[in-house]
Amino acid sequence: MLLQDKYRIAVLSAYALVLHGFEAVLPMPVPWLKLGLANIITVVALFLFDFRTAFTVTLIRVILSSMFTGTFLGPSFVLSLGGGAGSTLAAGFFHYSLISISGRPFFGAVGLSLISSFFHNVCQLTLAYFIFIQRIEAILIISPFVLLVGTATGLINGIIADILIRNVRAPLPESDLAGSGNKL
Amino acid sequence: MLRIFRAVPLADKVLFFFMLTASLSGIFVVREALPQAADVIVEVDGRPVRTAPLSVDGTMAFNGDCGEIQVEIKNSRVRVSEAHCPNKLCVQQGWVSRGVIVCLPNNVVVFIGGRGTGTKKGLDAVTG
Amino acid sequence: MNRLDEIQRAFQSRGGTSFLLGLLLLAVIPSCGDSGRHTYQKSRAMMDTFVTMTVISESRQQSETAIQAAFNSIEEFGCLINFFSATSELSQINKNAGVREVRVSPAAFDLIEKALYVADKSAGAFDPTIGPVMRLWDFHNGVRPPDADIKKNLPLVNYRDVVINKKNSGVFLRKKGMLLDLGGIAKGYAADLAVGALKQHGITAGIVAVGGDVRTFGLRADGTAWNVGIKNPRQTGAKDEIMGTIRLTDKAISTSGDYERYFISDGRRFHHILDPQTGYPSDRARSVSIIARDGVFTDGFDTAVFVLGPRRGLDLIKEINRDFEVDAIIIDVNGVIYETDRVKETIKDAKNL
Repeated sequence: MLLQDKYRIAVLSAYALVLHGFEAVLPMPVPWLKLGLANIITVVALFLFDFRTAFTVTLIRVILSSMFTGTFLGPSFVLSLGGGAGSTLAAGFFHYSLISISGRPFFGAVGLSLISSFFHNVCQLTLAYFIFIQRIEAILIISPFVLLVGTATGLINGIIADILIRNVRAPLPESDLAGSGNKL
Repeated sequence: MLRIFRAVPLADKVLFFFMLTASLSGIFVVREALPQAADVIVEVDGRPVRTAPLSVDGTMAFNGDCGEIQVEIKNSRVRVSEAHCPNKLCVQQGWVSRGVIVCLPNNVVVFIGGRGTGTKKGLDAVTG
Repeated sequence: MNRLDEIQRAFQSRGGTSFLLGLLLLAVIPSCGDSGRHTYQKSRAMMDTFVTMTVISESRQQSETAIQAAFNSIEEFGCLINFFSATSELSQINKNAGVREVRVSPAAFDLIEKALYVADKSAGAFDPTIGPVMRLWDFHNGVRPPDADIKKNLPLVNYRDVVINKKNSGVFLRKKGMLLDLGGIAKGYAADLAVGALKQHGITAGIVAVGGDVRTFGLRADGTAWNVGIKNPRQTGAKDEIMGTIRLTDKAISTSGDYERYFISDGRRFHHILDPQTGYPSDRARSVSIIARDGVFTDGFDTAVFVLGPRRGLDLIKEINRDFEVDAIIIDVNGVIYETDRVKETIKDAKNL
C-alpha cells in the first residue's frame, strides 16, 4: 500500500468519524431514525477512488466509533459492522459490475447512496432478527418504515455526495489555486 | 437546487421512486398482512414472561438487565413507561399500538402480537 | 409508465421539492381518514372473570358510551347476585332461607325465574340450589370434603324448594340452610344484559364475552359472522388451545368443562361441575358447548347437559329445541364428539381427545 493510499484512507476515515459522531449527538424524533451521513464518505470513496478504500474506511469508521462510545464488540457494534460492511459491499458490487457491463457508471452518486442505504437497513434488520428479536412480525412491521426513511436519507446523502464529487473533480480555476483565503 | 436534480441520472431517479413506492406500499401491505394483534407479549432474555391483553389498561414491571422496567398499557396502546438503561430509547419510543418496542440494554422485548397465546387469527372470542 | 413519467416531471418541475415533502408527509400520516365501520374493544375484570366487549360502530364516541353503559349494567347486576357479598340481594335470600320471602330487583328475579326454568327442564341436572354442597368443595386448594358432609347437605339441594312470587318479585327458600348459587347461569345472563345495553345505545353489531360465555349480534366489520373458538378440554401445550371454531350471529355460546376449576386426587379428576343428585363432580363429559339465542340459556343448559352426559343430554336438547333453536357440541368422558345437525363438524382439529 502506497503512503498516498494510507494518507487518503486516514483522511476519509477522519471525515467519516466526524460525520458519524456529529450524527450521534443530533437529537432525533424517532429512535431508530438514522441519517447515515457516514455513507456520504463511502459513496465518495467509491466514485473517486476504489472499492478497497471505501471498504477500509467503513471498517475503520465502525470499529473506531464503537471504541469511542465503548460499544466495541457489543450488540450495537455487530449491527453497525453488519450494516456498514453489507452496504459498502452492495454499493461496490453494483458500481463495478454495472461499469463492467455498460462500460460506464450506471448509477450516479444518488443511486449508489440509495443502494448503500437500502442494504445497510436490510443487513441490520436481518441481524436484528437473528441476534435480538427473532420475531418476524416485529421485523416486518418496522421494515417498510426503516426502508422509507432510508430512501429519504439515501437521497439526501446522495445529493451531498454528488455535490462533493463534482467539486472535487472540477478543475480548479487558476485564481483559486493562488489561494482563496486572500480574497475573503 | 433545480440544477442538482436535473443532473441526477435517470437510473437514480427511477431507483428512488421505486424504493419510495415499494417502502410506502410495504407499510400498507404489512399492516394488512399481519393479524390484528390483541396481546402484549413481554420477553425478557428471549423468553416470553407475560402475555396481557392489549385491551385491558394497566401496568406491569419486569426485571431487565439494567434494573426494573415498567410497561404500561392504555387505550389499546403500550409503552415502556420507566427504564433504567443508559439511553432510554425504549421510553422515548412512546406509545405503540402495533409492532414492537425493543430495549436492547435490558434485553427486554415488548411485542404486540397474537402469536404465542394460541388464539388463532380472526378469532373474536373463545368459549370454554 | 405514464404515472412514473408524471411523477418524474413533477419531481423535475419547480414544485418538485414540495411534492416530495408532500409524499413524505403522506407516508407519515397513517390511514386514519377512512370513514366507515370500526371495531372497538374493551376488557375489564368483572364477575370473577374477564369481560370483553367488541362493538362495530361508525363513531368512537358512540361505541365508548355504549360499552361503558354495558359495563355498568354488568357491574350493577353483579352486585345483586354476588354469592360472597353479604349485602347482595342473593345473600339476603340465602340469609332468610326458611324464614321469609325476600323482594328482589327485576333483573335478579328474572334470572332466578330462568334458572328455575332450566332446572325444571333438565329435571334438576342443573340446580341453582347447589350452594350447600358446592360450598363444601375447595377446588382452589384441592380439598375433598368428607362424604358424610356431602350426604348431610344433599337434601338441601332441590330447586323445587325455591318459591317465587311473580306479583311482588319475591323469592323464598323453603328450608333453612338452603343456598341459592347462581354462578352456573349468571355470566350468560350478564352477556345478555350487556348486549341489551349496547343495543339500547344504538350499537347494531358486537360480541360480548363474559369469561367463556359469549353472545354475538349483527356482523363483523368485514360483513361476516363472528368467529368463536371452542377451547380444547385437553390442552396439548399451547395455552388456550382451540379445538374448533364456529361462526355465529345473533346467537350465544357457552361451554362447561371439567378443566376450568379442578384438582386431581388419587388419580381422579375432581372438577367444579357437581351432579346435584350425588354432590360429586359429574363424570360423563369433558366439555359441553351450547348454542342458542340467549346467553342465560346456553350458560344454564351447558351445565345441565354436562351433568346428564351425551345420551340424555342430547335428548334434553331435542326437547328444548321445540321451545327455541338450540344446538350442542359434546365431548364425552372418552373424547367422543357429539354434535347436533346444525353444528356438525365444528370440531375438526381436536387433539388428544
